[in-house]
Amino acid sequence: MLAKSPTRSSFLAAVLMAGVAMPALADKASGTLDVAFTKELENVDSYFNSSREGVVLQRAIWDGLIYRNPETNEYVGNLATSWEWVDDTTLEFKLREGVTFHNGEPFNADDVVFTVDFVANEENGVKTQRNVNWMDYAEKIDDYTVRIHLKEKFPAAIEFLSGPVSMYPNEYYAEAGPSGMGLKPVGTGPYKMVDVVPGQHFVLEANESYHDSPKGQPEIAKIDIRTIPDVNTQMAELFSGSLDLIWQVPADQANKLAQMDQFTVANESTMRVGYLQMDAAGRSGDTPFTNKLVRQAVNYAINRQELVDALLQGASKVVYTPCFPSQFGCVQDVTEYEYNPEKAKELLAEAGYPDGFTVDFYAYRDRQYAEAITSYLNAVGIKTNFNMLQYSALREINMKGEVPISFQTWGSYSINDASAIVSQFFKHGSLDSARDDEVLEWLNVADSSTDPDTRVDNYAKALNKITEEAYWAPMFTYNTNYVFKDEVSYTPTADEVLRFVDMSWK
Amino acid sequence: MSDVTDPLAREIEGPSPRQMLKSRAASHKGLIFGMSVVAFLVLVALLAPVLAPHDPYAQSLMKRMVPPVFMGGTWEHPLGTDHLGRDYLSRLIYGARVSLMIGAIAALISGVIGTAMGVAAGYFGGKVDAVVTFLINVRLAMPVVLVALAVVAILGGSLTVVICVLGLLLWDRFAVVMRASTLQISRRDYIAAAQVIGASTPRILLSEIMPNVFNNLIVIVTLEMAHAILLEAALSFLGLGVQPPTPSWGLMVSEGKNMMLFEPWLVLIPGVVLFVLVLAINLMGDGLRDVTAPEGRS
Repeated sequence: MLAKSPTRSSFLAAVLMAGVAMPALADKASGTLDVAFTKELENVDSYFNSSREGVVLQRAIWDGLIYRNPETNEYVGNLATSWEWVDDTTLEFKLREGVTFHNGEPFNADDVVFTVDFVANEENGVKTQRNVNWMDYAEKIDDYTVRIHLKEKFPAAIEFLSGPVSMYPNEYYAEAGPSGMGLKPVGTGPYKMVDVVPGQHFVLEANESYHDSPKGQPEIAKIDIRTIPDVNTQMAELFSGSLDLIWQVPADQANKLAQMDQFTVANESTMRVGYLQMDAAGRSGDTPFTNKLVRQAVNYAINRQELVDALLQGASKVVYTPCFPSQFGCVQDVTEYEYNPEKAKELLAEAGYPDGFTVDFYAYRDRQYAEAITSYLNAVGIKTNFNMLQYSALREINMKGEVPISFQTWGSYSINDASAIVSQFFKHGSLDSARDDEVLEWLNVADSSTDPDTRVDNYAKALNKITEEAYWAPMFTYNTNYVFKDEVSYTPTADEVLRFVDMSWK
Repeated sequence: MSDVTDPLAREIEGPSPRQMLKSRAASHKGLIFGMSVVAFLVLVALLAPVLAPHDPYAQSLMKRMVPPVFMGGTWEHPLGTDHLGRDYLSRLIYGARVSLMIGAIAALISGVIGTAMGVAAGYFGGKVDAVVTFLINVRLAMPVVLVALAVVAILGGSLTVVICVLGLLLWDRFAVVMRASTLQISRRDYIAAAQVIGASTPRILLSEIMPNVFNNLIVIVTLEMAHAILLEAALSFLGLGVQPPTPSWGLMVSEGKNMMLFEPWLVLIPGVVLFVLVLAINLMGDGLRDVTAPEGRS
C-alpha cells in the first residue's frame, strides 16, 4: 500500500493502523494469548527436534500414555488408564477409550504400536535416540490393550513414557511422515495446531473435545507464538501490548520488569545444571587437567555462591553433584569444594604449576556467566583463551576430544532420573572426558537394575568417585523467569516446560 | 647577479613554505580539534596504568551495573561498573589502548604492503603494474567485513589475529593512491635527471619519489586507521574480535546491548568514545590534506 501511494496521509494511516491494530489483537477480550519464543524450532514433530521450544509444543499438541504431575511427581494414566510390568522387560497398558485425534482419527492400540515401532527403529532417525532406543517393539493384544517390549531392563521407562514419548496417529503419520507432521501436526493434546509458518509463528487453538485428561482442560481459546530472538525486542513488544507472555528472561531484565506493576514475574528452577568439564583423560593432548590436583584447584577457585547470588539469582542453587538434586539417584552426600582461592593456588603449586598455566577455555551459552567463571580461574593463575562457539560446533570438537576445559550445561530433557545426565556423560561415550572404568561399571549396574536401593547405592558410588576425582566442577542449577501480563493467570512448574493448558485469563 | 640585495630576490622573500604550512595548520579548526583529541587519547592509552582508578579485570559480582556519577552513581566508579562489576572508566581507558593499537598497527601493516605495491607499480609500469592492478582488483572484489568475519571465525578471535587480518585486508586504498601519484611523479624531469646522473633505483624511490607522495600517504593512513578501529569494534561486537576479558570498546557495546532498554549508558559511553575517536582521526586526515595540498581542496 505504501509503495503504490506514498502520500503523507496513507503513511500516517499505515502507522496508525500498525499502532492501534496490533495491540488490540493481544488481550483478554480477543481471547488470543501472544507468546514469544527466542529460538527457531527446526521441526514441530517432537521426535525430530531437541529444543526446549519443541518440548513445550509437544506437551500442548500430543499426549503420552502416562502423565507425571509436575507438582507431586506422581504418575497417572493419560492415554493409558492403567499399566503393569508383565516381566522385567514388558509393560502392558490398558488404553483410554473414546479419544480422537485432532483430525478425527480414533485413538487405539494400532496408534501405539505404530508410534513405538516407528520411533524405536534407529533407521528412522529420531533426533534424541536416548529418549526412545530403550524400546524394542510394541504388540497389540486387543484394540485397547497393548504391550511395549523393552530391549533390556530399563527402570526409567515410566518416566520416559510420561515425558518425551508421545502417541501419534498411525494413518496420518504413515502418510505425512516427520516433515508433514512438522508442518501440520496432529495429536490428541489439549491444543491443536492450526497454523505453522516456520521461523515466524505457530497458532494453537483449544481442542474443544479434549478427553478427560490429567493435564486439565484448555481455557485460553487461541495462542499465537512468534519467534523473536532479541530479548530487548520481546520486552518492547510486551510494553506495547503485542505480547502477553515471555519466558527465559535473563535475571537482570526480569528484576527491572518486576519493578513495573503491570507484569507478573515468576521464577522457577529448571533441571539444567551448569558445570565445567575438564579433560581428565588427556584426550586433547598433554593437558594439566590430567592431574587431579589441578582439577581440584579449579573446583576450589570458583565462588559458586557469588555466581548464584549475583548472576543467576532466582531459584538457582549451588550444586556439587554432576546431576540435579531432585533426580532419582542424585545423592548429595559427596565431596564438596568450597570457595578457597588460596587453597587452589596451593594445589596448583603442588601440582607443579606455581605460576599457573594458560589454557583454551570454551563456552557456548551465557557469555556473561562464562566470563565471570574465567575471571575466577584467572584470579588463581589459570589464564584462559576465551572461545565462544555455537552449541553444535563445540559439541563436535568436544566429541573429538579436543577441548581441555569448557563451560557446559545439561537440562536432562526434564527427566527426573540421574541416569539422564550422569550416564549420558560418564559411560565412555564420545562426550566422556573422564573415562573412568570403575564409574562405568557402577553406572551399568545402576542403569539396568530394577531395585531402587541397588540403583541408589551404585549411583552414590559413582557420584562419590566423580566428585572425589573432580572430573567436573559442577556449579549451579539454572532457573527461568516467566514474565506475563497481570491479566494472565499461570503458575510455572519446576521443569522448564511452558504449559498452555494451565493458563487462563483472570 | 650575485648581489643578495637584488630587488627581485627581495621580492620573493616572505614566509617560507614551512611557515606557510604552520600558519595554515594553525588556522584549520578541524585539524586542531582532531589532533588534540587523538593526542589526548594516545596519552590516555599510554598512561593507562597510572590513570585507571581500578584494575580493569577485577570482577566484583556484588557491585554489578552501578550507574555512572551523572546518573546517580558515586565517585568510587565515575562511569559506573559493567555487568560483572568491573570499573567502566578503567575498562574504557584500557580499551583505548586496544583500539589505538589495532588502528595503528593495522594501518602500518597495510600501509607498508600497499605503498610498496603502489610505488612499484607506478614506477616500473609494464608487467609489474599489470600484476599489481590485478591484485588490487582481486582485493577490491572481496567484501572486507565478510572476509574478516570468515577468517576470524576459522582462526578464532584474538588481538593478534584481528590485527593481522585487518592489516592484510586494508592495503587496497594505499596501493591505488600510491600507484596513481607515483605514476604522475615518475614522469617529472627531476626523476629523469636522477636517472641520467646514474642514481640507483632504491635511491630514486626513497629520496625522489617517496617525499613527494608522502602527503597522500598520511591522509590514507588516517582514513585506514579509522577504518580499522571501526572494523575491530564491529568484529568484537559480533563476538569474533578481541576476546574477553580484554577490554575493547566494541566488546563493551556488545556486552551492554542486552541491558540497553534499562541501562542505556552501558552502550552509550563506549559508543560515544568510539564515535569521537573515529571522527577525530578523520578530521585530522582531512585537515592534513587541506594543509599540505591546499590545491586539492574541494
